[in-house]
Amino acid sequence: MRHATLARAVALLAFLLCLGVVVLGAYVRLSDAGLGCPDWPGCYGHLTPAAAAADQHTAVDPLDGRPLQIGKAWREMVHRYAAGTLALLIAWLAAMAIAWRRERVLPRAYTLGLLGIIVVQASLGMLTVTWQLTPLIVTLHLLFGLTTLALLWWLVLTLWRHRADGWPERTRARGVSGGARALAAVALLVLAGQIALGGWTSSNYAALACPDVPTCQGSFWPHANFRAGFTLWHPLNVDYEGGVLAGPARVAIQLVHRLGALVTTAALLCAAAAALRAARPANVRRAGVLVIVLLALQLTIGVSMVLRGFPLWLATAHNAGAALLLLGTLTLNRALTPLRPLRPLRA
Amino acid sequence: MDHTDEPALPISVGWRDYLELTKPRVVALIMLTAVVGTLLAAPGLPPLDALIFGNLGIALAAASAAAVNHVLDAHIDARMARTRRRPLPSGHLSQAQALRFALLLGLASMTLLVAWVNVLTAVLTFCSLIVYAVVYTVWLKRATPQNIVIGGAAGAAPPVLGWAAVTNHVDPHALLLFMIIFAWTPPHFWALAIARRRDYERVQIPMLPVTHGVELTRLHVLLYTVILCVVTLLPFMTGMSGLLYLAAALALDARFLWMAVALKISDREGLPMRLFRFSITYLMWLFIALLADHYLRVVL
Repeated sequence: MRHATLARAVALLAFLLCLGVVVLGAYVRLSDAGLGCPDWPGCYGHLTPAAAAADQHTAVDPLDGRPLQIGKAWREMVHRYAAGTLALLIAWLAAMAIAWRRERVLPRAYTLGLLGIIVVQASLGMLTVTWQLTPLIVTLHLLFGLTTLALLWWLVLTLWRHRADGWPERTRARGVSGGARALAAVALLVLAGQIALGGWTSSNYAALACPDVPTCQGSFWPHANFRAGFTLWHPLNVDYEGGVLAGPARVAIQLVHRLGALVTTAALLCAAAAALRAARPANVRRAGVLVIVLLALQLTIGVSMVLRGFPLWLATAHNAGAALLLLGTLTLNRALTPLRPLRPLRA
Repeated sequence: MDHTDEPALPISVGWRDYLELTKPRVVALIMLTAVVGTLLAAPGLPPLDALIFGNLGIALAAASAAAVNHVLDAHIDARMARTRRRPLPSGHLSQAQALRFALLLGLASMTLLVAWVNVLTAVLTFCSLIVYAVVYTVWLKRATPQNIVIGGAAGAAPPVLGWAAVTNHVDPHALLLFMIIFAWTPPHFWALAIARRRDYERVQIPMLPVTHGVELTRLHVLLYTVILCVVTLLPFMTGMSGLLYLAAALALDARFLWMAVALKISDREGLPMRLFRFSITYLMWLFIALLADHYLRVVL
């Protein structure tokens, strides 16, 4: 296999696995299995929950007496196995970027940066467990997971465009306006902010604070405590499963996430409209429609969650929808951004 | 001039003329939406009398309204290329024959609905018939460029009628189906109006492209398409439909939006007509998806 082909294949595989790990992670969290194994990296000191269950001495957490629940433990551990495999794949990418640096099959600094991020992400995964679901760590774990996913997707898109378009002299900004590019970049930032708010909502168990939509507890501006809701750091050695904030603080978080949805919708629609209006290349217009459709999907899931009483599968789908919307917005940005050469242009 | 290629005019009044008077293809689409309304109204199979007599009654009313429309529009139809060969302007049928036929269909419809279905369905069906055949055709159509937006309410009624035939009340979920067709009508109709604006201009019907220009109409088509996309997601949000419907709706919405955007930014010749044709396919598949989703959930 040619080196470039292999690199593309591994990048795609890593991306697909990462998407799975992100959604699985959301499922673990939403099904309250995040502390299924209260230690790290093992599970009650064993490699698998099965081994832990077989060992009578370790079936209870020595710290807080939490007994082993085999289903939750398996969910948590499968997430860890999959994430570990992903880390190995990314390490493989980094190795290829270094070993074949003369051929420039992969952007080297970028791939090494990806490896750095996965190390940080693994540490956050550990802290999520050992610091017992502290909201800030849980949210950062989500954000770094999505950053990994975003970087992998951007890499896949870049490698594929290099293959399709040959080398960059032909691909430089065909009829793409700077305005459309700027709007797409702004939309990406706004979306990232909204995802962070979503993570904050979930990690503070604030979704159920408003059982109705578009109103919250029957009011468009319910009693809310923004200061308490957005205090980022909470003391350690507290079990945060189920949330610790009072009602008005959770209402504040949910309210800001909803207002964020309005702002994000506006930003994404502006970016998509600019892409649809300004661009001649069909891939830009396709990306514009893709963003609109994914936005519609994500808003639908969000509203449905509330209307249907927060079923687990819809809550998980809301996380998957956020990931997909992020990927769609990246696709739009990639289509609008000129390709830089992976290797120097020949004269 | 050489007329040898044209078929000879039939001497006697054929059943085909009466059939054409009922606009069978339009009625077929209306009936699809009405049948889906009846089927969605019950978890399993709805009562057979509601299914058969209810839909037959609605079909007869729609056919009657179409026939009345033929009579009232005969003088316009005669001056438009597209409609010149209809039974009345071509002289195959007289106005009296057509009106008698329409009355017969309408009476049959009401009898069926009152006797074997329920009075609510009969009343609502009668109102829809009057709104389309009289209010829309006689007055709205010639009064305002918002004609088809308001008149769309009559075309959007069939699923509500079908639903009422089963449950004997106006269900909120049925109103969702109403909203879908109501939001669908403007982009559907205005795409056609752009394609046929010369015809409408000649007979002085104030369609939007005639009164406010093609450019504004394209914008309106796009904006109503956005509304349509939002409305078609409501059945999933409220829990009436599931994932199969959501997937179908998103795919169909993406295509509709894609074509509406193309219409807005490009001057290519065939686009309005293509959008018009697609809008029919769109509504058909959307309602088929509603139905498939409904029974999938019953089975699972």
